[in-house]
Amino acid sequence: MREDALRCALIIAGSVGLLVFALAPVAWMAWISFADRPDLVVQGEAAYGLGNYVDVLTEEELHFLDYFRNSLVISLVTALAVTASASLAGYAVSRLRFRGRVLVPLAVLAVSMFPPISIVGYLHRIFSQAGLLNTHLALILPYIAFTVPLGLWINMSYFAQIPRDLDRAAMIDGAGRLRTLTHVVLPVALPGIFSSFLLVLIACFNKFLFALMLTVDYRARTLSVGIAMFQGLHGEMPWGSLMAASVLTCAPLVALTLLFQRYVVQGLSAGALKG
Amino acid sequence: MEPVALRCERLSKTFFSLRGRVEALRQVTLRAEPGELLVLLGPSGCGKSTLLNLVAGLEKPTAGRVVLGERTVADAEARAFASPFERDVAMVFQSYALYPHMTVGQNIAFPLTNLRPRPGREERDRRAREAARLLRIEELLDRKPAELSGGQRQRVAIGRAIVRQPRVFLLDEPLSNLDAQLRTEMRAQLKDLQRRLGVTAVYVTHDQTEAMTLGDRIAVLRAGTVQQVGTPMDIYDHPANPFVARFVGSPPMNLFEGPVEARGDGVRLRDGELALTFAGPLAERLRAHAGQHVVLGVRPEHIDLVAPGRGNLDVTVDVVENLGSTCLLCALFEERQIVVQAEAPPEEKRVGLRFRAERVHVFAGEGG
Repeated sequence: MREDALRCALIIAGSVGLLVFALAPVAWMAWISFADRPDLVVQGEAAYGLGNYVDVLTEEELHFLDYFRNSLVISLVTALAVTASASLAGYAVSRLRFRGRVLVPLAVLAVSMFPPISIVGYLHRIFSQAGLLNTHLALILPYIAFTVPLGLWINMSYFAQIPRDLDRAAMIDGAGRLRTLTHVVLPVALPGIFSSFLLVLIACFNKFLFALMLTVDYRARTLSVGIAMFQGLHGEMPWGSLMAASVLTCAPLVALTLLFQRYVVQGLSAGALKG
Repeated sequence: MEPVALRCERLSKTFFSLRGRVEALRQVTLRAEPGELLVLLGPSGCGKSTLLNLVAGLEKPTAGRVVLGERTVADAEARAFASPFERDVAMVFQSYALYPHMTVGQNIAFPLTNLRPRPGREERDRRAREAARLLRIEELLDRKPAELSGGQRQRVAIGRAIVRQPRVFLLDEPLSNLDAQLRTEMRAQLKDLQRRLGVTAVYVTHDQTEAMTLGDRIAVLRAGTVQQVGTPMDIYDHPANPFVARFVGSPPMNLFEGPVEARGDGVRLRDGELALTFAGPLAERLRAHAGQHVVLGVRPEHIDLVAPGRGNLDVTVDVVENLGSTCLLCALFEERQIVVQAEAPPEEKRVGLRFRAERVHVFAGEGG
């Protein structure tokens, strides 16, 4: 009995400890985002309000909404492209018999192991020669290349879970390869495809390095870089606006994750099992 | 539609994998008559499912031909291969393989949506409903497979197979996921359905009871080769070899293997620690094999209990299994058991066993 109680207490203490460790900075960020004078928060002399948020959303020079739009467009396009190609590739690798079937996912995985920093210089040169620097495409292309492995592996493990008998039944029932894919396999795989879409979207939204090197200003710069480059309006470190912008950046991702928690966890664990 | 015959001619299938080549089927020649239910019976890994897949068109043969009616649907030498749909075969899978995102009605109607020309929605609905009525699942048409019990899913799978009125009906262990009682019930219904539709059917199972009760004829397979083809009674009464003898019948046949020694007016067969003695007509039959190594088989139900020393063999009964109407007596030895079916348990543990001479099977032994 005492052992049980002790165990329970330890589990709770551990969980709370982890939660505090993970969430304290976030809470601190949220707190400061509401303060009018962040430097006075510790002394307890700051007043609280939504001023920082209004600043961030209305000051045109901060370009917050531009960054937000860039992030959204780049992440969405990347996620759609990756999902489309990775789900088809996942189907092919899990279902078709062809030479090198085992090599494809491994080769793709190997590509994703390249440290991004090692190629960012070359990318910069290529894109500047192609006149693509500071455009959405300059980020979308490398993002696709670097997130396809994630999408492929999630999709593969999902397709592998779908019984082969379904494909065979569809074949017997007269459906060709394409119809089997569109009418039988894809609908069944939809949760997996959706979870790969979400994870790729989140990964792109958070990417920093490429966005830092390949964009110049608000026309293509994404949120993660935008916030880091926040200049502030009055020559001082604008902690309040910075934190408000950070909260606004996190909010959609947190909302997405909470809303589709089931799919995100599924996708992560599917990848974990296989990868 | 007229039922068609199905012929497999010298059909072979070899799989190549990282572990090497596996000969799943070797030179199998088989024929199912029009309207007949042919059972492929064998232990797992004997190639029966591979054979079914070759007939279905899910696999290509390495050698040999498959002929449906007048049409050659697969010919390894001529490199001809018709898709499952072109063959007009339907299949019921062990896993049912229902489409989980479709309702029962959509599942059953799915094969119709692939027909060319495609029948209209009303026509499809009508035919799906008719198949459902035949299987008594009309009230389930709007449900999803996840909401159904095992037996109901089974019926939906059968409905999807019959809705197109295929020329050949293929069943791959369709009952093995059901509980015992439901299995018996579905078995009878399947047989009835197949008779009413008058369609040629091939049924794969590893369960000899299913094979005996369902099959018009049974083909027993082992390690990719056909051991024997015949009616259930044929196979039960005249097994072609010890494998068939032991695989068909429950409890399995008792087998004794050893050299035959003729001595005076009797005959002796020595199988390890067991010594069997024979006199009368059985001795005459065995005398022809004197000096040879034979396998002698007798079913549990063809052994009579007699006083020790009066039969062919004396044993000590170790276990009595009461089945209600009869009981099974088991005599245990180190690596085997001898099973006798009797009406009542004997009073003494030590009993004599007398084999019914006309029911004893003698097979040539497999080696010295």
